[in-house]
Amino acid sequence: MKVVIIGSSAAGLACIDTLIRFSPELNATIISEEAYAPYCRCLLTYYLGGILKEKQMVIRDITSYPPNTAFLFGERVDRINTKNKSVMLAGGKEIPYDKLLIATGSNAAKPKYYDETKKTFTLRYMSDAKKIEPHIGSRVIVLGGGFVGIKAAFGLMQRNVGVTIVISSGYPLSMIVDEKTGSFIGKDLRGMGIDIRTEEDVAEIKTNNGALRVSLSSGFELDSDAIIVGKGVKPRVELAKQAGINTDLGITVNEFMETSAEGIYAAGDCCETMDIARKRFWVNAIWPVAVEQGYYAALNMLRMQAPYYGSVGMNSMKTRAFHLITAGVLKGGEGISLFEKYIPSKNQFRKLAMRDNVPVGMAFYNNPEEAGVIVNLIKKGTPLTVDPAKIVNNEVSMMDILRPL
Amino acid sequence: MKVVVVRPERCVGCLQCRFACSVVHSESKSPFTAPYESILSKPRIHVGVTTGKEPFPNKCRHCNPAPCEMACITKAIFRDESTGIVLINSDRCINCGMCAMACPFGVIRYHVYVDRRTSAHKCDQCFARQKEGKIPACVEVCKVGALVFEDYNKMMDKATDQLASLVYLGIREKEREKGPYPTLIAYKNTLQEIKRR
Repeated sequence: MKVVIIGSSAAGLACIDTLIRFSPELNATIISEEAYAPYCRCLLTYYLGGILKEKQMVIRDITSYPPNTAFLFGERVDRINTKNKSVMLAGGKEIPYDKLLIATGSNAAKPKYYDETKKTFTLRYMSDAKKIEPHIGSRVIVLGGGFVGIKAAFGLMQRNVGVTIVISSGYPLSMIVDEKTGSFIGKDLRGMGIDIRTEEDVAEIKTNNGALRVSLSSGFELDSDAIIVGKGVKPRVELAKQAGINTDLGITVNEFMETSAEGIYAAGDCCETMDIARKRFWVNAIWPVAVEQGYYAALNMLRMQAPYYGSVGMNSMKTRAFHLITAGVLKGGEGISLFEKYIPSKNQFRKLAMRDNVPVGMAFYNNPEEAGVIVNLIKKGTPLTVDPAKIVNNEVSMMDILRPL
Repeated sequence: MKVVVVRPERCVGCLQCRFACSVVHSESKSPFTAPYESILSKPRIHVGVTTGKEPFPNKCRHCNPAPCEMACITKAIFRDESTGIVLINSDRCINCGMCAMACPFGVIRYHVYVDRRTSAHKCDQCFARQKEGKIPACVEVCKVGALVFEDYNKMMDKATDQLASLVYLGIREKEREKGPYPTLIAYKNTLQEIKRR
């Protein structure tokens, strides 16, 4: 069996590892647009902060793969020919496949003021980080209060760079957490020395002898050496769209990770799967979900008929001051009841969102110990057998949760 | 492959396993000097016994496929192929907190290791001791049989046999119209009786 994998990040690597584990004799080709050994995107903020070197970011040693696995770095796929079952590279080479995995991932969303000549960068690829690095001086502005923005700010802060985060909504992480959790994060980030400006946007960027002067919508002006934009990601579906595969916001797949074209699978940030907490199709562009999807795609390529149970948006952010773990939906809505508890002496906060008897969302702040148990209950959609108020009060032992199951 | 099997219904919450675990993973491996080391060795098994909570010896299950291994963004968490034990390479760990989010059993903690660097911290099933041919420390000190070091398949066979006999007993009792046994212990006593016959 000939397998072609487009993309060599989380989903692509998980897929090839699983394929080799269960069926070592197959021929696989991994095509990557980037000319670097497989690295982890989530570590780019650490690279910017000078915590990790480039070679520490490499997550796979490609020489350890069997000889029938070929890696093509720096090659772009031009189009997919679904009739002949082949992939055309931009260089003109044609590679036939029996099974194809599309793991093209996502691109950073670019706002209207995005302009690299004005030192405004997004942070998505290794090349982006390398472009930003020489421009970092004493002040940097980060646009967007998402995970990329806050992690970039925290990384730069450890390099003694003054950071200002400009957020268009009222509190950090507004897409993921509710206002109360966001306010704790805002408070702790300010406590670490990061300047946060909420409900603001960039009005104009002026350059003056290489230095940037940014005026915000409220009229406030800031000096800066560079601007990093972290305004979310967009799935890369152009390739699939060209080949006539059904796409929505991402590439639509069935529960076996197969797209509308036969023999073509999709996994990772570019595909749209069932979100268990939201009960609708959703793109969850995070690393652990991409690895899981790659794993299930590989199982189904080998005809093991393993249905993917669906994804849950979850994330963990750990800085010197706090450790936040969130999963699912946290904002109140129809049929969702919220339970929360704040312990000021320990700066701990626990929040749980329930639909009927099933947990659908959680945020544990400075309390990582049993967060994983709740995250996995959300993932499996298991009804809780204990009082959720007891969980947020931390009065429940593992025994109480596990015994009735 | 031999694994540590937890039988929480037997646990009395004596915390001997926690003490043994921290001693074994300390630098000096002696209970007298371990508390005075510059980096305090922390236990890797959690019992969680406080007022109002039942004890539950909670340790890494070394799942396959392991959710923490999947979630680890630096590949610091890896599986030792020969023994099947999931281990953490603390040099690669960047303390991002992803594994604690992914672990379905909540057994990962974050502690300071060498060079004042914080890293993820979990059970390694006494990897070093097993190489010397010893059994894991927590199993060695457990007096009530809540932690057992057994071959996984053998353990499953045993449990299946037991369950089958219990079901058989239950059905026989129902036919006699006596009503089911009040507790699991009563079932087990009868089971022992049958075995002796």
